[in-house]
Amino acid sequence: MADKKPQAAPANRGHGPGSHGGVVEKPKNFWRTTGRLAKYMSSYITGLIIVMILAIASAVFQIKTPKILGQATTEIYKGLMTGVAQQKAGLKIKGLPIDFTKIEHIILIVILMYLASAIFSFIQQFVMTRVSQRTVYKMRRDLKSKMQRLPIGYYDSHSNGDIMSRAINDMDNIAGTLQQSLTQLVTSTVTFIGVIWMMLTISWQLTLIALATVPLSLIVVGLVAPQSQKFFKRQQASLGLLNNQVEENYSGHVVVKSFNHEKSSIEVFEKENSKLYKASWKAQMISGIVMPLMTFINNLGYVLVAIYGGIQVANGRIALGDIQAFLQYMNQFSQPIAQLANLTNTIQATVASAERIFEILDEPEMDNSKVDVPNVETDDKVTLDHVKFGYEGKPTLLEDYNLNVKPGEMIAIVGPTGAGKTTIINLLERFYDVSGGSIKIGGKDIRNMTREQVRSHYAMVLQDTWLFTGTIYDNLKYSKEDATKEEILTAAKAAHVDNFVRQLPDGYDTVLNEEASNISQGQRQLITIARAFVADPEILILDEATSSVDTRTELHIQHAMERLLKDRTSFVVAHRLSTIQDADKIIVMNHGSIVETGNHEELMAKNGFYADLYNSQFAGNVAL
Amino acid sequence: MFKIARGRINTMQVLGAVIFMIFQVVATLYIPNLTSDIVNKGVITGDTNYIVSAGIKMVVVSLITVVAAFGNVLMASQASQGLGRKLRSDLFKKILYFTHDEFDKFETSSLTTRTTNDVIQIQNVMIMMLRMMIMAPIMLIGASFMAYQKNAEMTKIFLISIPILIIVVGLVMFFAVPLFKAMQKKTDRLNLVFREGLTGVRVIRAFRQDKFEQDRFKDANADYTNNAVKVFTIVAVMFPVVTLVMSGTNVGITWLGAHYIANQSMQIGNMIAFMTYAMQILMSFMILSMVFVFVPRASASAARIQEVFETESKIDVVAKPANVKGDAGLGFNDVNFRYTGAEKLALSNLNFKVTQGQTLAIIGGTGSGKSTLINLIPRFYDAETGVVSLNGTDVKALSTEDINSKVSMVPQKAILFKGTIRENMAYGKDGATDDEIWHALKIAQADDFVKELDGQLDGEVEQGGDNFSGGQKQRLAIARALVKDASVYVFDDSFSALDFKTDLNLRTALKNDEKISQAVVVIVGQRISTVADADQIVVLEDGKMVGLGTHQELKDNNKTYQEIIESQLKEVK
Repeated sequence: MADKKPQAAPANRGHGPGSHGGVVEKPKNFWRTTGRLAKYMSSYITGLIIVMILAIASAVFQIKTPKILGQATTEIYKGLMTGVAQQKAGLKIKGLPIDFTKIEHIILIVILMYLASAIFSFIQQFVMTRVSQRTVYKMRRDLKSKMQRLPIGYYDSHSNGDIMSRAINDMDNIAGTLQQSLTQLVTSTVTFIGVIWMMLTISWQLTLIALATVPLSLIVVGLVAPQSQKFFKRQQASLGLLNNQVEENYSGHVVVKSFNHEKSSIEVFEKENSKLYKASWKAQMISGIVMPLMTFINNLGYVLVAIYGGIQVANGRIALGDIQAFLQYMNQFSQPIAQLANLTNTIQATVASAERIFEILDEPEMDNSKVDVPNVETDDKVTLDHVKFGYEGKPTLLEDYNLNVKPGEMIAIVGPTGAGKTTIINLLERFYDVSGGSIKIGGKDIRNMTREQVRSHYAMVLQDTWLFTGTIYDNLKYSKEDATKEEILTAAKAAHVDNFVRQLPDGYDTVLNEEASNISQGQRQLITIARAFVADPEILILDEATSSVDTRTELHIQHAMERLLKDRTSFVVAHRLSTIQDADKIIVMNHGSIVETGNHEELMAKNGFYADLYNSQFAGNVAL
Repeated sequence: MFKIARGRINTMQVLGAVIFMIFQVVATLYIPNLTSDIVNKGVITGDTNYIVSAGIKMVVVSLITVVAAFGNVLMASQASQGLGRKLRSDLFKKILYFTHDEFDKFETSSLTTRTTNDVIQIQNVMIMMLRMMIMAPIMLIGASFMAYQKNAEMTKIFLISIPILIIVVGLVMFFAVPLFKAMQKKTDRLNLVFREGLTGVRVIRAFRQDKFEQDRFKDANADYTNNAVKVFTIVAVMFPVVTLVMSGTNVGITWLGAHYIANQSMQIGNMIAFMTYAMQILMSFMILSMVFVFVPRASASAARIQEVFETESKIDVVAKPANVKGDAGLGFNDVNFRYTGAEKLALSNLNFKVTQGQTLAIIGGTGSGKSTLINLIPRFYDAETGVVSLNGTDVKALSTEDINSKVSMVPQKAILFKGTIRENMAYGKDGATDDEIWHALKIAQADDFVKELDGQLDGEVEQGGDNFSGGQKQRLAIARALVKDASVYVFDDSFSALDFKTDLNLRTALKNDEKISQAVVVIVGQRISTVADADQIVVLEDGKMVGLGTHQELKDNNKTYQEIIESQLKEVK
């Protein structure tokens, strides 16, 4: 089988709570990927436009209100100053002459604006949730259907962990960003521009003072961010190593203990643990210091504005309410800067995620082109005609291989462990296509049939007892959708499944879980045999079990397999002498390629690899 | 959560974090006070000097804030990450000395999660507590006090806004929390279906069930999406409403403030300061409500960690070991054993003895107790009654370390560690020479493929030995055990992954090796051919020893043994 590519699949990309920042991955081609991502959302364009308009409107209202509310303060101040002036003039007044009708009026407007802003903000989130979730829904759907069209070679050359990480973590990243960051991007930009605009309408001098703090903030971000990145990266790397160590030591604890290796294991662990500690507290510390520093810079601006503004008000050049509004703007104005800085990281990480998903979507699909191999008249069930094959980028394994399989024949495939016995199965089932020659079923080249047609001739029982998470009944029905209950029960009985299933509390409705903790490995094997019975195929592909099961179950499995094989054309990866000796033809494999073919007598007479393999069974000169 | 932190977190650092936080909060609260002074005493009276001096005070106070914050962050990150380090270290040590029983109880994957993810969860919540969550109550009390001082009357505005805030946050949590929980389940389901599509791709395609798979995924996907839309819609309500409450409070303050100022019961600067305090009070409330989200999550992790700490290791050296007389070798004398909590004995009445230079084979179906028997030798488990003796000493009188220095074992599942071939080989013998290693590799029939590796003995072993085939891993594991010097070598079903020929060559090489041939060799096997040439064969069935003898004796007289031969060599008689 092809090698598994050792791709690093970072399980946790550092989005834990409390970690501001984390490690950012950069996309290879930012704009192209962004464009493709945008295309995914294009069917929701109306929704998106509404969201954008509402986001802008909501932000504008939010920006406008402090200024208007400030007018109320100005009114109060005016009344106060008049009152003070009147008192100074010696007038006795009952209350300060504050214009309450005007204040009432202002407050009413402000309340309405706040309300509108809240409603807009809600609608915007409401729509965006739907747009983002449905976009990701579509992406997941496309990814899944792509997986169906990818050749088995793709699965063999990519680790499941890597594919899973793309399907889960990267998808999550995209969903999160679409949900939150897009509207935040709009709102922050609008707020930033709007706030500067509002500040300018109050006083350009004050605005200049406020803006003077921006470079200071940028310096802080520019100095601190790379530092924190550095430590987060170190932390992530350390954590990965530590995880591996823990996993290795726990899963290998039998060895660790029996070799008295606990102390040195702990020593190695402590070293990495200390490294992790050093990197992580520094990462936390540096990312944690950003906020207070920003607040301090903001406070500096605040003080300067207060001083300068205070003097201006005292001189009567600016209204007090305007200063109050201006101070509120100062607070609002540092927020979007920090947010925008964060967003660039998030968006980059998201585009990198999208890139990884598009990478799968761009993989070449299975080749469905027909070949120019004429049909031939033959009584062969299966014909291998001058077959040539090798896995991509690997040496050729089969060269000019011929085999005729007549109906009802049993073909045994034997060889030492790791000899490549699955290669034949891969070719028969059209998991891989031959690179030369032709494989025919009933005289027709299998490349001139759809893969579904090819596979409809076969049923397969592998050692890997894959069953899906669902009821036993549904798993049995898996091989034949229109199977009747009767057929299924008959199959279950023939495969010794019926008996133990009836002992389970939920019988055939027992849900098999992923870890298979509710039934034994041997019982799973029996279910896969029953599943093949239900399919009632013309040709059977069978991998005999070597895995350890108890004697009784083993007998059951053997018995069930014999029944299943009866009167059927079959290919058996054989470990049992009886099977091998009964076989009509034996394919002997070693180091990936076929070394000999023939029946037992022929091969023994040849005195080659097979004879050697066979004889080694009786070595030790034990009389049996 | 606090239970596992006790004694592991640096209390001085925690105290430091709290003290710095108090400084930070007090300084933060003092700033609005200064603002109001600027307005009241500076602006209204037109006293520019006062404004400037108050401004300088503000800068100084801000500086105190930032220094205090710095101190708090420093202490908080060291305390929280230090707690994490200590927890990880304690867990790792504790777990590494777990016995088999305890490993069985927890399962490896769960123990790994506890040591890594659960600890990180605790670390994260701890730093949040030390930074934000202790700030909230201090800020709340401080700001309330300040606001009350500025204007006691006006604090009644909080009687409206705080209940509204609590109701809103409460309602959102009430509706959203179950949905968030459901979301976790639906995410799991989505991942499960996708993963099954990967692991089962051959079966799915062979049975032409692609459409079924697509439909199954579509259902899970739609289910997840619908739930996510619901959750985020509810969350979408919260943010605008909270903003509205805060803005509303400000408006209310302006309105009430205008009246108080009009009848001269309040100064205008105090109104502006009051607004700032109001915001701080409401923000603190929001932060406090987060406690309800994060603390339960952390306490689940804490409980899982605590469970590990509370597990007590059972196997200890017993004070009064049985006095066994005898010579070098391995003996089982009336041994009975049962698993913790089991009703039935897993092994009963085992009696046999192997002397130096002899080979003992154990055969029987799975579930017959072969591995269990093996596990009694290095005290992975202890016998209930009877004595397992090693070189004449009851193993219960020996520490596991003592035993393991005398017993070299190849477990059923070949386990290799990340590193080089040499590191893996020298695992049981520090400083093993290359010659020794090559010799062992040769016996284990592993020298051929190791020679072909890049760097040979320096060749890399990936995590779990994933760059080797099952048979190769098994042979490396055997070689590793052979490098170690021991008086008993145990092979727990180690030959079944090998083909017949390799199996034979290996056993022949074992027999001819000087070191090994002088030791006790115990071989557990399933194939007759593997066990046939042993000096003694133990036949196990359902935990009982149903036969003991040589191949020839058993073949003639033992029914179970005959059955095993029958099943394996049906046609060859």
